[in-house]
Amino acid sequence: MLHSSLAPVSPELHLVNRLTWGARPADLARMSDLGPAGYVDWHLDHAAIADPRIDAFLAEHPILLDDVYGIRRALDADYDSVYRQVMWGRIYRAVASERQLFEKMVEFWTDHFNVPLPDLIPEKVVEDREVIRRHALGSFRDLLLASARSPAMLVYLDNASSHKDQPNQNYAREVMELHTLGVDGGYTEQDVDEVARCFTGWTLQQGWRGEMVFDREIHDDGEKVVLGHRIAAGRGIEDGLQVLDILATHPSTARFISRKLCRRFVADSPPTELVDEVAATFTATSGDIRAVLRTLFTSEQFLAARGAKFRRPFESLVAMLRALDPAVHVNDQWLVTYTLERMGHLPFHWFPPNGYPDASAAWLNVNGLLHRWNTAMVLAYASQGWTDGAVTFDIAAVVPAAATVGALVDGTWLRLVGDPIAATTRRTLLASLDDASPGESVTAEFRSEYLPPLVGLILASPAFQLT
Amino acid sequence: MSRRIVPHTAASLAAACNEYRTLDQRGTSRRTFLKGVAGSGALLLTNSLFPSLPFVAFAQTPREVDTLVVVFLRGGMDGLSAVVPVGEGAAYYDRRRATAIPEASVLDLDGFFGFHPSLAPLHEIYQGGRLAVVHAAGSPDPSRSHFDAMEYMERGTPGVRVTETGWLTRHLQTVPWANESPFRAVAMAHMLPTSLQGPEQALTLDSLDGFDLSMPDHLRPDLERALRDLYRDAGQGSDLHVQSDSLFATMRDLRTLAADDGQSRPDAGYPDTSFGQALRQVAQLIRADVGLEVACIDLGGWDTHEEQGGVEGQFAELLSELASGLAAFHHDLEDRADRLTVVTMSEFGRMLDENASGGTDHGRGGSMWVMGGGVNGGVHAAWPSLAADALDDGDLAITTDFRDVLSEILVQRLKSPGVESIFPGYRANYRGIIRPGA
Repeated sequence: MLHSSLAPVSPELHLVNRLTWGARPADLARMSDLGPAGYVDWHLDHAAIADPRIDAFLAEHPILLDDVYGIRRALDADYDSVYRQVMWGRIYRAVASERQLFEKMVEFWTDHFNVPLPDLIPEKVVEDREVIRRHALGSFRDLLLASARSPAMLVYLDNASSHKDQPNQNYAREVMELHTLGVDGGYTEQDVDEVARCFTGWTLQQGWRGEMVFDREIHDDGEKVVLGHRIAAGRGIEDGLQVLDILATHPSTARFISRKLCRRFVADSPPTELVDEVAATFTATSGDIRAVLRTLFTSEQFLAARGAKFRRPFESLVAMLRALDPAVHVNDQWLVTYTLERMGHLPFHWFPPNGYPDASAAWLNVNGLLHRWNTAMVLAYASQGWTDGAVTFDIAAVVPAAATVGALVDGTWLRLVGDPIAATTRRTLLASLDDASPGESVTAEFRSEYLPPLVGLILASPAFQLT
Repeated sequence: MSRRIVPHTAASLAAACNEYRTLDQRGTSRRTFLKGVAGSGALLLTNSLFPSLPFVAFAQTPREVDTLVVVFLRGGMDGLSAVVPVGEGAAYYDRRRATAIPEASVLDLDGFFGFHPSLAPLHEIYQGGRLAVVHAAGSPDPSRSHFDAMEYMERGTPGVRVTETGWLTRHLQTVPWANESPFRAVAMAHMLPTSLQGPEQALTLDSLDGFDLSMPDHLRPDLERALRDLYRDAGQGSDLHVQSDSLFATMRDLRTLAADDGQSRPDAGYPDTSFGQALRQVAQLIRADVGLEVACIDLGGWDTHEEQGGVEGQFAELLSELASGLAAFHHDLEDRADRLTVVTMSEFGRMLDENASGGTDHGRGGSMWVMGGGVNGGVHAAWPSLAADALDDGDLAITTDFRDVLSEILVQRLKSPGVESIFPGYRANYRGIIRPGA
């Protein structure tokens, strides 16, 4: 169980940290302009938020906008470059997009409808854009349907090779266990058999992975019964569509999705009453993701859960890069991406269909902690050339000018964390800076020797790693 | 340095069911942040900031207790293709076509069962009497969900998901000796497996190599102290504090270990995969006598819904990695074999009938193996047969509960006094798989 005795952060910083990938001064300023409810609404209307850095990034990385054919050609020409751009694109958009909550929901659904990248690069790139991003803040039903039809999912969970004579159950099982009802959601092995029969014929043309086709020849058009609903004989693609409708509107689905959202945005073991409340909104709005999130973020239980989440490795890295933004520049994208490999959280590289775990028990361990601390230190020391230029960092741009060491520590903490420093933390940091006294004046020599470790320690500290 | 991550070949695109393959099996570049830094020459690590400690001082583990290595084959390993019931004749060969292993190809075990040819490195160990093959083994819970089935097995309580600790954790909780070594329970992984979840400290390590902080040497004492204090101030006894302290203890001991002799034999022949290297590093910990009692290693990729292959192919390659890794481990530690037990397990076997994709879906009974100096070699199977009326919901029935195998190991080799609380409500049937330790 994750617990800490750190003082809770301000309600404003809490909301900003949970809705974004890490609070920057500009985020906190917007929060104070709009107020909590206005700030949530501003994020939920993501299409209205101008996103010039991402527009520029996509213009420079057109592969992310390409179709399956174009991506395949690009892979043949320069495989590594495409691979790098896809993974770095995931990180960069989390760091730099103004549509921060949208990017967090992209992460949530990427885990929920997990499809690993390596064998399916063209299909996954298209799926990320046309399924996950298109519906991330839309209707759950539309998202589920888009996922079921996506070549990435059809190939990954083998439905593309299912056949009426020998139905492949892989997708049928996971669509209920992981995408909708949850394992205790009330389905039986018989339902798995029947759903697999319903989805026979949902496939891809040989050699073509551009879009799904329905092949009547391999579809089992006999009568089926799914979760008590009779599915009439003699039909085609309607069987699968009806299954998706049954699943999308099932009360177990409302509860399962709501619980996962509460685990993501509130706490590892979210309060049951909150899950019920969020699920009620899910049901009342037929799975309107915006409405569901509004209920979640405006609840008292959300506000009470300050410091209850330990940032996952991807979140931790992105939060560090945001804290140092725009003074940090990544020149070697592989180098930064691979910090996530050693923490077990490389984008799009979770191979089972359930997505990366979302509880501190999975991530707070000796291995993860070491690599997290090292990432903090290496980023900070990039200011002194540690990475041979792979990462450049203008440390003076994030450390405020200060006459005394005490003011320097306070100001740097406030800039990187977003809340004033606690007295014990201040003492610990001062002790590590050559036992400086707070009133000591800051010399050029002191700045050059102690700014990198100060920044590194702040990024590595529990206050930064918890949200 | 090549940065190619995945060989972009028709074969890799065809092998589409990859739910359980791990990154490293894909030949991922090992270039890391840390290596990038070390390469810049700006970072020098010292090994001598902490005095070398005699590891044995930590552990009061009795000398006659085995080290147990648990290899979990994630995804549902097809026991019928690994340990082929050739004696079934048509009952097997009529149901399996694309994935069938012809009788002429198998390595005979007892006249009825034969090893897949990829298991040749283990066949030799089998013939030497150091490998016990259990068949028709598995969990009595009928779930065919990977996640449920794995959770039930790793918690040691089939059908009960609310059990808060893993079976290995409960073993460590119930033994009468103390062992304060940070290396008492080690998972070679990015994340802690469920079998080790709970209040006993277990160490998660992705690699022993280069496991240290990146910081300038002259500031290291101050910065280490600051990190320690920051995490202690996050709450005495909190997870943050506990993991941070454990990290410092681990780094201290690994520095000592690195300075020691007792490395693995360079010619042991471990595969150059994360699985092979994890085995090599566990062998290194065993050789260094750091108080290791249980170690967990995963090998994924067994969820062969599509293009499973027969004598050759995806499944055969994975078996080959498994067999060469286990054989290398066995030979590397041959002089300690009488204090070492390795067990392999998987969440379920595969269906007897193939699907239309040249693969097999989630089934029931599978195969578990036990390797070590104490085993009674041979095949241990209360074989239920593949006759239609002997099948469980169409698939290989389970006649040996996985807890029978694990209980026997715990009691006979790990001196467990509390197997009733490790597998609550279960009375194990011993199969004579393993002899009592001396």
